[in-house]
Amino acid sequence: MNLHRLRTIIGIELRQRVRSIGWYVLLGIFAVILIALLSLSFAAFSLTTGGSEWFFSLVIMLVLLLTLLVSPTLSGSAVNGDRDAATLAPVQVTLVTTSEIVIGKFLAAWISGLAFLVVALPFLVVATLAGELNPGTIVTSLLILIIEVGIVAAIGVGVSAVIARPIFSVASTYLLVAALTVGTLIAFGLGGAALRTETTTISREVDWDAVPLGCDLSSPSTSTNCPGYEDLPCVESSYVSEQPRFDRVWWILAANPFVILADATPPTYVNGNPTDLFSQIASGVRLAQIAPDAATSFDGCALSRGSSVESYPSTEQRIAGTAPSWFVGLFVQLLLAGALLAWGIARTRTPAKRLPPGTRIA
Amino acid sequence: MHAGIDVAGVKRSFGAVQAVQQVSFTALPGRVTGLVGPNGSGKTTLMLMLASLLRPDGGEMRIGGIDPVSDPAGARRLLGWMPDSLGAWPSLTSREVLVAAAQLYDLTRDEARARADHLLDLVDLGALAASPARVLSRGQKQRLALARALVHDPRVLLLDEPASGLDPQARIALRVLLRRLAAEGRTILISSHVLAELEEVVDDAVFMVDGRTVGTDRVAAAATRVRVWRVRVPADVARSTDAVRDDVAAALGRTAGEVRVDRRDVLVPFADEAAAVAGLRSLVSAGLPIVEFAPAVGDLEHAFLDLKTDASPASTEGAATPAADPAPPGSWQPPAEGTNDGSAS
Repeated sequence: MNLHRLRTIIGIELRQRVRSIGWYVLLGIFAVILIALLSLSFAAFSLTTGGSEWFFSLVIMLVLLLTLLVSPTLSGSAVNGDRDAATLAPVQVTLVTTSEIVIGKFLAAWISGLAFLVVALPFLVVATLAGELNPGTIVTSLLILIIEVGIVAAIGVGVSAVIARPIFSVASTYLLVAALTVGTLIAFGLGGAALRTETTTISREVDWDAVPLGCDLSSPSTSTNCPGYEDLPCVESSYVSEQPRFDRVWWILAANPFVILADATPPTYVNGNPTDLFSQIASGVRLAQIAPDAATSFDGCALSRGSSVESYPSTEQRIAGTAPSWFVGLFVQLLLAGALLAWGIARTRTPAKRLPPGTRIA
Repeated sequence: MHAGIDVAGVKRSFGAVQAVQQVSFTALPGRVTGLVGPNGSGKTTLMLMLASLLRPDGGEMRIGGIDPVSDPAGARRLLGWMPDSLGAWPSLTSREVLVAAAQLYDLTRDEARARADHLLDLVDLGALAASPARVLSRGQKQRLALARALVHDPRVLLLDEPASGLDPQARIALRVLLRRLAAEGRTILISSHVLAELEEVVDDAVFMVDGRTVGTDRVAAAATRVRVWRVRVPADVARSTDAVRDDVAAALGRTAGEVRVDRRDVLVPFADEAAAVAGLRSLVSAGLPIVEFAPAVGDLEHAFLDLKTDASPASTEGAATPAADPAPPGSWQPPAEGTNDGSAS
């Protein structure tokens, strides 16, 4: 990896972007949508005070959505577009290596995606302050946005080096982004439901059948023959049911960019309950990590005789000690992006043994 | 091992298509070698393999002694490649294209700038240095592509159809430049199907037909076969061309059927150069006012057309090109567009 050549490749890419009108049109539309979104939310929430945390965390989610929608266009035709325009081969005959070409294009796509984040930053700040969100939200959401733009750039460049036609590689990049955002949710739901295990529930109840005929426990001491409530025996019954095992597929959902954003943002809990959308989503994914007990018991007998009930733990307490899912999710995404880049480099290597069907090298 | 190009038994197929089947030749330093062949004969595929972009299925290649397959970086240092398809980043200026290309060959920024300015002057694009490559005409893009191929001062030049799209003045400039580059000891391999123009610049020629190089013996044989010469007498309104033809035929002792008329010229087949010399002598001594006496087609074109006929199906091969006996009238066919080029020189 030679930095001078890598910089030259990035320079060629960026200079073309900066000089194309379409690039500014895209940035403009991006800014207009954000302005519209934010001014509408201000108009809507000027009536009420409080409760806007949920909404403004949704606004930050929408910034991520827009960024994810824009990014594939910046990278999805990086390599095959150059091959179509016959500008790839003249670069390949120079001393620049295939890795430098592909990684240079990836870095250029990443940098040009960051321009959208520069536009989005003021909106992030305003949304965070207006929603009275945790100020750390600005930093974490920005960091996650930067990383997500990079991951989509890597996916796009990798796919563009593997698939011959630019239009199909851009579409495939969109499909991969859709797989990460919507697909992970579906795979998580279906996967968890498919991987069921049996759970035995044992319950103890007062044996009402043991009350002799003619006795009425509600009117005690009518007859000494009648047993007191305390004297009634307890019976145990057990039944087997199937439980979905989300704890085995939670890492799929963790790879969702929105889940990563939500989980990486510092959580806010009031009385142990989440107060914004980020914390809500994060706690949901964290809870999914906890395996259901193979056997649960319910002692109705003891309960009805006045023994104190253990209080249920709050959401905040229950997720303490679970793995930070954003970390796992980013790892899964980086693995995907890195694998696609490596595949792309392998397919672009010269002297080429095999060409993608229907292409000429120059 | 010399600083030129050595190719032995190279082949390459794309799926079921055998683009290059059996190519062997040598291009020597200090000489311009022409790669001649019809469309689809595998010239560009061969160029791509030499340029270290495509891996051959078999055979050996050496660029200045370096194998471009096992050491592409080493070969790339030595070779400059000008592709047949013009690709330049549309929004970069001509100067930026050259500076970027030079930097990809590890020149520093300052060296790259100096080199770009020098090359822009060399290919006469100095006035367009700041224009985006998008607005260049086809010929200007060709010159930019040539400058890009020269950016790292390569010892071996691979030029794929460099003259297509150039105006006559640029063609002459290209010819002068190529001769100069060859005189500096570089090896130049140049492909083209505009044979008349190739003829003016090449020292050697490699013929390719259906993915194979044609042996030098076959090329030599083709060159010595019956050839048509163009005879021109001053235009005279009083005499028809048919009358001139009869005069020429009579002076040469041929029948009028053996001599053809092409516009205002008379075309006469001669078996070899000695026969042509004898023919010219008898025409002059017969008192005919000869102003032009030249082969109707150039050397390359003659050999090329002859080889193409050879490559036609085997059943007709024997009949179409009997190498030994003088061809009967009508077996030679001066091509409709080629005749003018041939007589011009």
